[in-house]
Amino acid sequence: MGTKKIKEKYDNKPTTDILNKADELGLTKENLIEMYQTMVEIRHFEEMATKLYALGKVHGTMHLSIGQEGVAIGTGTVMRDTDYLINHHRGHGHFIASDADVNKMMAEFLGKETGFCHGRGGSMHIADISANNLGANGIVGGGMELAPGVGIAIQMKKTDQVALVIFGDGAANEGIFHESLNMSAIWKLPVVYLCENNHYGMSAAVEKVSAKVPFTHRAESYGIPAYFIDGNDALAVVEFMQKAVNHARSGLGPVFLEVETYRWMGHSKSDRNLYRTKEEIEMWKKKDPIKRFENLLLEANLIDKTQIEEIDKKMEKVIEKAVEFAENSPEPDVKNLTEWVYA
Amino acid sequence: MPIPFIMPKMDMDQESVTIIEWLKKEGDHIEKGEPVIVVETDKITSEIEAPATGKLAGLLYHENEIAPVTKVVAYVLKEGETDADLPSDDQSEEQIEEPSVASQESASSSTLDEAKQELNVVSEEPEEITPRVETPATPLARRIAKEESVNLNLIKGTGPRNRVQAEDVKAYISQTDKTPAPIGRMDLAGQTIDISIMRQRIAERLTSSYQTTPHIYQTVEVDMSHLEANRKLMNEMAVKEGLPKISLTAYLVRIVAWCLKHHPYLNSSLEENKITFWKEINIGIATALENGLIVPVLHNADQMMVNELNKRIKYLAQRAHDGELTLQEIQGGTFTISNMGMYGIHSFTSIINPPQSAILSVGAIKRRPVVVDDEDSINVRPIMMLTLAADHRIVDGVVAANFLAELVEKLENPEILSI
Amino acid sequence: MPEITYREAIHDAMVEEMRRDEQVFLMGEDIGVYGGAFGVSAGMLDEFGPERVRVTPISECCIVGSATGAALVGMRPIVEIMFMDFSMLAMEPLVNQAAKARYMFGGKAQVPMVVRMPNGSGSGAAAQHSQCLETLFMHIPGLKVVAPSTPYDAKGLLISSIRDLNPVCFVEHKMLYKSKGEVPEGEYSIPLGVADIKREGIDITVVTTGIMVHKSLDAAEKLSTEGISVEIVDPRTLRPLDVETIAKSVKKTGRLLVVHEAVKTAGWAGEVMASISESPAWDYLDTPMRRLTGKDIPIPYNRILERAAVPQEEDIIREIRAVVKNEY
Repeated sequence: MGTKKIKEKYDNKPTTDILNKADELGLTKENLIEMYQTMVEIRHFEEMATKLYALGKVHGTMHLSIGQEGVAIGTGTVMRDTDYLINHHRGHGHFIASDADVNKMMAEFLGKETGFCHGRGGSMHIADISANNLGANGIVGGGMELAPGVGIAIQMKKTDQVALVIFGDGAANEGIFHESLNMSAIWKLPVVYLCENNHYGMSAAVEKVSAKVPFTHRAESYGIPAYFIDGNDALAVVEFMQKAVNHARSGLGPVFLEVETYRWMGHSKSDRNLYRTKEEIEMWKKKDPIKRFENLLLEANLIDKTQIEEIDKKMEKVIEKAVEFAENSPEPDVKNLTEWVYA
Repeated sequence: MPIPFIMPKMDMDQESVTIIEWLKKEGDHIEKGEPVIVVETDKITSEIEAPATGKLAGLLYHENEIAPVTKVVAYVLKEGETDADLPSDDQSEEQIEEPSVASQESASSSTLDEAKQELNVVSEEPEEITPRVETPATPLARRIAKEESVNLNLIKGTGPRNRVQAEDVKAYISQTDKTPAPIGRMDLAGQTIDISIMRQRIAERLTSSYQTTPHIYQTVEVDMSHLEANRKLMNEMAVKEGLPKISLTAYLVRIVAWCLKHHPYLNSSLEENKITFWKEINIGIATALENGLIVPVLHNADQMMVNELNKRIKYLAQRAHDGELTLQEIQGGTFTISNMGMYGIHSFTSIINPPQSAILSVGAIKRRPVVVDDEDSINVRPIMMLTLAADHRIVDGVVAANFLAELVEKLENPEILSI
Repeated sequence: MPEITYREAIHDAMVEEMRRDEQVFLMGEDIGVYGGAFGVSAGMLDEFGPERVRVTPISECCIVGSATGAALVGMRPIVEIMFMDFSMLAMEPLVNQAAKARYMFGGKAQVPMVVRMPNGSGSGAAAQHSQCLETLFMHIPGLKVVAPSTPYDAKGLLISSIRDLNPVCFVEHKMLYKSKGEVPEGEYSIPLGVADIKREGIDITVVTTGIMVHKSLDAAEKLSTEGISVEIVDPRTLRPLDVETIAKSVKKTGRLLVVHEAVKTAGWAGEVMASISESPAWDYLDTPMRRLTGKDIPIPYNRILERAAVPQEEDIIREIRAVVKNEY
């Protein structure tokens, strides 16, 4: 009893020899260790978020991406600082993978003045415009509205930037999915569409609400090159992201990447997981992207148990410091309530 | 149930009133809204109106007695009710506070038919609420009443639902105003006085205009028979419709404005070798004040018809008289009319108001014998003399003459303009 | 001063701004060779090319969403939505993205974009092509709403809207496109948020926009013969609303009538009346504030019914008379 198969075979070959793969992709040993470290950082951040929530410190809800770290690191590694990230509500991982300051993230999480959005946005709207992070979006598919526009701007400014828009399997059924792919295709906009297919749109199993999966079919019908890959294989994600980004960057038009992955936690904090079984969750936990990467590193003797423990402790501290920073930060002043409505 | 007649509270710390007079006596028929009692508080006398239509009964307080406010002082019997229906003394307080209990009692005490009838009566009875605001009046009326320390309750409202309008308050004030003492004539002989700022300004401007602007003067006579006949008819209609009568000035402004549209040099200004032909036609009306002169301006006079002009002129005159003219109301004039007709002056000259380029002096209308046709027949006609002063630097004699000619033609044949 | 049409005025504003600033570009359906459904963008494709005069697929949601995205990263898009009725398909990006980005992201974003949309009835286009929905946009903090009534106002306000750093809904009345007016030849702009007194008067303040300004002016001329002096205040910008100018006028006249084509219920007349009620002008009112608006119905097709659905000159005359004569 598990999730239904989306496609018979992935378009990627599973990563077995990490050193070879890294070579192919132009990644050094240091890069690999860094990637691993960031994945651990993301995991710690998300787990801390759960803890804070349980302690009643978080106002509102949160959408955790535990189990999807492979996708986050795969894309974050490939994207340049000058590229645009258009994120979705389950976006903490992507944000961290794009080198965002976790202190400011945690502060925004707790609604503090020192947060990325001065406490005005919260988890669902974390953005850093100056770093080309155009924000997480609380509207499913919201990012797909913005993406072609960013692509148009890139084209008109004649730069070699790329816009990455991330959305889920649920968003693929919004009308904007079609409008957006169509528009990017007709004008060959430099947009990479990344669909994180984690099998569930809140409580709806993807095959129950989508007439024909994977969504690569839909993208192909717009003449857009599309790939379906294993999202929990971090280096496979890197490989196909590189392909996609190069394609888009060279003016050949948009690319559609569908990555299969799974979220361990509920959709949000009020999710009782009534729509899936414990067995299914356990089965996917065995495919943990972090563990997988860790094993590959161990096999290739790039890391040992002590280092793993060190990294774990180090990242735990980083996150603890972030919480300390956030908790010691001031709340926003009510006097500024009506500022920033208009420029 | 008889309707309780409650003495209203009219002031914040008021607790009672003295009853001066009952305008109606027990058994009299009274109409809702009709004044029934005259009362006095420490500040003023007021009339209290009936809360409903019916028979006045059960007077609890009489003349020269002190009655508490917010309490019952009498009752109004509805049709079919008698004194027997009046609540007894110790019941009266309870009746007010728990009317629903009373009506329930009356319903259960009779036969079904009677109960139904009583229920109908009870349900028809309008709920007696004492509104916090006694007299319906518009915000403007209230403000004027407050400013002039007038009691709104004394004013009869002519608005819908007897609402007191601003004009009601103004009318009340003007009729209760004592006529002002006639302005005594100051004995000036032998005195030396400082001139006011206004007079200083007038002196400066007139001197400057007189010295820098070479004035030319042209005079024409206008046969006002048609215009006066027209005005008489319009005024008859106005009186019938309760509108104010139309002044001669309104007509003059209308026609002058029309003519200025076709004679731009008369609506222009010379400044540093540039002539500006103003787009707007803003006509100033020279208005005498007690100690000087002010010229309120009718902006875009060419866009208004005689009736509207008339109203605007009266409005500006009133504001000039009250010393309330705003800067905007005296600025921006492009042409000025000065009318001395009411003083019997048959013609006169004026000094142009800088930076304008012309001014029209209007004399009195005098009935005179004139030649009316080619056969030299003589008839008596109302004749008015107009003198135009123009800035000769930019207005040539012929230009001025053409303007005056057109003005005369239109004044003598005003029907051409749909007024 | 030369006279041009409302349509030409809008065209000229866009052309001048696009010449002045490379970041400005136009997106919309049929705006290229076709010249736009109402001919406003005629000739622009030839001058600016297909990148800056971008003909889009029929995807209102994505068009406005893209404009938002482009604006977020430094461009200044102008969107032409063919009929205001179709903007309903673009409500999401306008309301949830464009209007909120700056605030949600703690003041670190700005969305300088203009969404132009023709509104109004009278062309027989019926229910789905004739609505006046500006009140919906007025309700959203973060958006600005502009509604010019003359060519002079249209050009000056559009230039300011394009230069404004916020998302602006620019409402054009479709029946005014061929109306003419004087427009100066040199560069000029009109600031947003400033009302214009289109006619001075002392008996009543009429607040109105779009085509109703012209109907009100005609009504005022006729009423002038009866001695009723009408002051007409054209807010020009609906959000932010210049309450100060309206209040000053009401203080002078003591009477207020709001005239708009939009439907009565939750129409913006209520906003004006509530604002006056909250202002010092309240103490100068001598009669209840009134409104004359479109009926609470979709716009019908039949010519007679269509005309009866919204205020006409005779309705405005009748209503002004009634207010001035204290019938309310």
